[in-house]
Amino acid sequence: MPPATQPSAIPEIFDRTQVKNSRNHAAHTLDQYRFLIDRAAHDIADRLTDINRTFPRALQIGARTTYPQETLLCQNGSIEELIKMDLADGLSPDIVADEELLPFTDNSFDLVISLMTLHSVNDVPGALTHIHRVLKPDGLFLAVLPGGDTLHELRHVMMEAELALKGGVSPRIAPFADKKQMGGLLQRTGFALPVVDSDTITVTYEHVFKLLQDLRGMGESNIVASTNKKYIGKAVITETARRYQEQFAEPDGRIPATVEMIFLTGWTPHESQQQPMRPGSAEHSLTEALQKKPASNT
Amino acid sequence: MKQEVDPKLLEILVCPLTHVPLRYDAEAQELISDQAKLAFPVRDGIPIMLVDEARELEGREVKK
Repeated sequence: MPPATQPSAIPEIFDRTQVKNSRNHAAHTLDQYRFLIDRAAHDIADRLTDINRTFPRALQIGARTTYPQETLLCQNGSIEELIKMDLADGLSPDIVADEELLPFTDNSFDLVISLMTLHSVNDVPGALTHIHRVLKPDGLFLAVLPGGDTLHELRHVMMEAELALKGGVSPRIAPFADKKQMGGLLQRTGFALPVVDSDTITVTYEHVFKLLQDLRGMGESNIVASTNKKYIGKAVITETARRYQEQFAEPDGRIPATVEMIFLTGWTPHESQQQPMRPGSAEHSLTEALQKKPASNT
Repeated sequence: MKQEVDPKLLEILVCPLTHVPLRYDAEAQELISDQAKLAFPVRDGIPIMLVDEARELEGREVKK
């Protein structure tokens, strides 16, 4: 096996092999667990419908849903050719590749969709730069990823439980991206007309074990590289469940889990897009306009 | 029966490390990057473009 060629300056927060394994492991039973991913895909499809344009060739990064192909291709017909890419071959994509090292030539696509994948990438600016590179001018980039507030309840009680029982904590839940930072990153990587917005969804569960089962089921088990790889232990899980119930349970006894979905939209620059005017190109002086006295009646 | 890589996909594929076009060896079912000295496997028609799953080329396999 050749050595990994990751640029050394980028901290490895996520274990990408573990990301691949988690998704492959989830592939067989994904149908039961992918409701959040389908929901994300559904929202992306809605946004695409609002953009009145045909995309001859599109790349879908993240193959954990069948939703976009069915609706966008067959019903709307706005995407003529869709290439599905994933890190995990178990999800039967058209190509297996890593968005940190996109294997496509420059200007390959009219549209790139990232479907719940950017949250597990180590080098987000690098991935965005790659996406920008493979897009044609005036190409569209749409992404959806879980953001900062996601699973804040679980993160809190699990940390408390581990601290109480083991006297220390190990990162169990991935750090999620901040909405404001993502907007800045889009701009920094050269995307024009960047838009970032979010939608908060609350899913309720009977107990924490069902929530954990769902997370595993959708291929989102722990991928933090620095995690203590040993199983967290039954005692900590039981304590997590107890604290979750105690601190967050709703009147009906069910526990809520917050999912914040962040949506990114950006275009590769093109002269046809709205542009800021060149400095000094104004024909009227603002100072004059402000100083102008109101016309008198006499 | 071996499944071939979609020709339309082949047109836009490049080496993930060097961004140069790849050589498709249909017999061995491999996509070869001479510059990076790597052969990426093709399984059931699906190119696996991951560096950690690629085979390192031996000297005589590399075409200049």
